[in-house]
Amino acid sequence: MPTLRLHYYALLREQAGRSSETVDTTAATPAALYSELAARHGFRLPAAQLRVAVNAAFSDWDRPLADGDEVVFIPPVAGG
Amino acid sequence: MNTFEFTHAPIDAAALAEPLACDAAGGFASFEGRVRNHHAGRPVTGLEYEAFEALGVTEGERIVAEAKSRHGALAARCVHRLGRLGIGEVAVWVGVAAPHRAEAFAACRAIIDEVKHRVPIWKKEHYAEGASGWVNCEHPGPVHAAPAFDYSRQRALPEVGAEGQARLGAARVLVVGAGGLGCAVLTSLAGAGVGALTIVDHDTVQPSNLHRQPLYTASDTGRPKAEAAAVRLNDYNPTLRIRAVTQRFDAECASALVAEADVVVDCTDNFASKFLVNDAAVRAGVPAVLASVYQYEGQLQVVRPDRGGSCLRCQWPEATRDGLVGNCEQAGVLGPVPAVLGQLQAMEVLKIILGLPGQLQDELLLVDLLACGQRRLAAPRNPGCRDVCVRIESVPVQSTPDDLDVDLPLAAAAAAGYRVVDIREPMECKFEPLPLSGQQSLPLGRLLDGGLRVEPDRRYLLVCAHGVRSRAAAEFLRARGHANVWSLRGGLAAQGG
Repeated sequence: MPTLRLHYYALLREQAGRSSETVDTTAATPAALYSELAARHGFRLPAAQLRVAVNAAFSDWDRPLADGDEVVFIPPVAGG
Repeated sequence: MNTFEFTHAPIDAAALAEPLACDAAGGFASFEGRVRNHHAGRPVTGLEYEAFEALGVTEGERIVAEAKSRHGALAARCVHRLGRLGIGEVAVWVGVAAPHRAEAFAACRAIIDEVKHRVPIWKKEHYAEGASGWVNCEHPGPVHAAPAFDYSRQRALPEVGAEGQARLGAARVLVVGAGGLGCAVLTSLAGAGVGALTIVDHDTVQPSNLHRQPLYTASDTGRPKAEAAAVRLNDYNPTLRIRAVTQRFDAECASALVAEADVVVDCTDNFASKFLVNDAAVRAGVPAVLASVYQYEGQLQVVRPDRGGSCLRCQWPEATRDGLVGNCEQAGVLGPVPAVLGQLQAMEVLKIILGLPGQLQDELLLVDLLACGQRRLAAPRNPGCRDVCVRIESVPVQSTPDDLDVDLPLAAAAAAGYRVVDIREPMECKFEPLPLSGQQSLPLGRLLDGGLRVEPDRRYLLVCAHGVRSRAAAEFLRARGHANVWSLRGGLAAQGG
């Protein structure tokens, strides 16, 4: 099973209660991964309102994920 | 009768007072501000007034209306001179008719005090010994004997030097939002000697702001932030032109304010404003440095429409709405977080002005101050970002030809056969007309839309305020095969006299 390194920011960090974690998953895309995590951590933001970055570059939600990928979920933030 | 106006003609007090006459008025008070022959111990020979007219009139009318209603006046008006004035001339006139003398005096006093505080007017004093200097009307420039603001520690950097310091002094930066981010940005830019700072914020200081907004004190509570910040920064570095705009940054004022800036800094706390800043900057081809904070972390993005870079809309969908994620009020924030992000913004601004290496572009920088971590994510142009940023297509920066700039007095350039094209916004042209006739006026946005017909057998010289936009526009046209287009180096600001 592929192992991924995940990083959370802002609201997702709060809801997950951690800023990063390593998971073993069969999720093939960031979209599938986010659904899995939303169920586990109770994420309430819809994926359409987030951006995902894979290996330090913004990415589409349907790109394939591979073992060792680093995935970052970024909610929009507006405080000033 | 306009309740507030600017005039270039001498003030005729009797004529101005006439429409204020009213049978119910038992009192009439007027005030005349006149040009005096000295300032801070230096003999003065004359004055020159400039104003940001559109905003000035709006703010002036608001002041007169407030004073009328607060003090129960029946009629009131204020007129401010612009342009060159000699000693003894009336620079500003206020007249108030009220039922009794107390209301008339009070309203008259309130109007002149508030006009001096809030209306964006600057005066340039001409000293008897020949020098001249711009001073903010309310907070006059440095006392002659005070030691000058010393930039030697930053000038010592080989990348800065005297030339870099001069560039900073000629730069104009618009800071939208004077909260946690804005306080940090403004302090650093004022310290670095950025010559003209414009602060836009419609909010007033609240006690809950103070822990992260050290430009303000508890006694500023209730005062417009833009104004309080301008006063504090003017005390800190009195050599700058600092302008406070106490107004919501909306679509109406955005393009005019952005067009007058070399760099825009977004320090707002909501998406609606961030998109406004982004869009106005992209349309004007002006770099914008955006940041947001959330609790212990922040995001930083530099939008470079002048280099064909990605924009905020490339990263976030139109549907990104406020209320989705908390702001500082709802989610809480630790003071150093906006301070750190604001300082990072200031650093990017200085990198742009000074042409330093390492400028962020097409990236999102995530900063997590709990984990002491930074992460740079590649954030390229989104081909689906049609509404805004596609219209300014990518210009390969590396291929910038060395002969893009023309360093000539405008009149000499025109005499040498260059067709001069003023690419500034209409408002800027009105504020500071080109010292030349026969030029073509074509705002940058229209030029980028293909509004300039380039004839192959002519030479074109693009002109803006500081040579930044004109250079980007010339690069843009060169990239389209027009080799006969140049940019006036340093823009109008470098024309001297």
